[in-house]
Amino acid sequence: MIKQPSILLVDDEISILQTLQMVLENEGYRVVTAQSCAEALEVLGNTVGFDAVITDLNMEREDIGLEVARAAQKVNPRPAVIICTGYASVTNSRRALDIGVDYMAHKPMEIPELISAIRRLVTRRGPAWRRA
Amino acid sequence: MARKSSHALPKMALVVHPDMGVLSNFQAALGEKGFVTIVARDLPTALLAITQHYFEVAVVSSRLAEGGDGWPLAGVLHLVFPSAFVAVIEPSEPDVLTLQSAINYGVREIYQQSAPPHDIVSSLVSQLQGSTKSETRKPSVQ
Repeated sequence: MIKQPSILLVDDEISILQTLQMVLENEGYRVVTAQSCAEALEVLGNTVGFDAVITDLNMEREDIGLEVARAAQKVNPRPAVIICTGYASVTNSRRALDIGVDYMAHKPMEIPELISAIRRLVTRRGPAWRRA
Repeated sequence: MARKSSHALPKMALVVHPDMGVLSNFQAALGEKGFVTIVARDLPTALLAITQHYFEVAVVSSRLAEGGDGWPLAGVLHLVFPSAFVAVIEPSEPDVLTLQSAINYGVREIYQQSAPPHDIVSSLVSQLQGSTKSETRKPSVQ
């Protein structure tokens, strides 16, 4: 049985959300989107088995994406957690390291690099549905 | 009949640094915390050690032969030993790009070159113990 790996994509900019969704679906991922931290937390609470969570940092407020990252770390099975931001600072990068974020991409990001990181992280973990 | 050994396997640590004095200090500090420490001054020796031992802790200088070449080695250590605590020693205060490297290479902590090895070892052992405790808790969404 082949199941599509799934990704929760969180960004308040609809254009980025749509572009990344299209790119990731083209790569064979099932993508669920959320436009805010609150929406992402709700999705994470109701859905089991994301292989990766990709989140922006600044949405409702500055660095709130770290809340998404923190919540994703507590999900079982734990998805790969990726932060994409255009506003990286020593403070939020330090917090991301302490939380245990798996990958941090700085916007504007190289899509092939991001795809390669997602594939590496998801493959290494094995499919979430099998780890559940 | 198979008998269960009463001796636990020793905890292994790898320290990779070009300075012999630093290696010696780390070996002593880690020894006090119960680690058997393998040291390497260069990349080939570190790679050889990776093929021969299972490490729970690795401390790598970000500069081995040239600036920044310790980072990929730290990434390799994270890939080979996913549950190991991999730390990197940096010459200066970490900036955004250094922190990004740490995250993307799977490094758990960055220490400054100026910190005494005993302090670094105490810090990493306490973090290691903390993470072991949290891994035994069943995760759930809160």
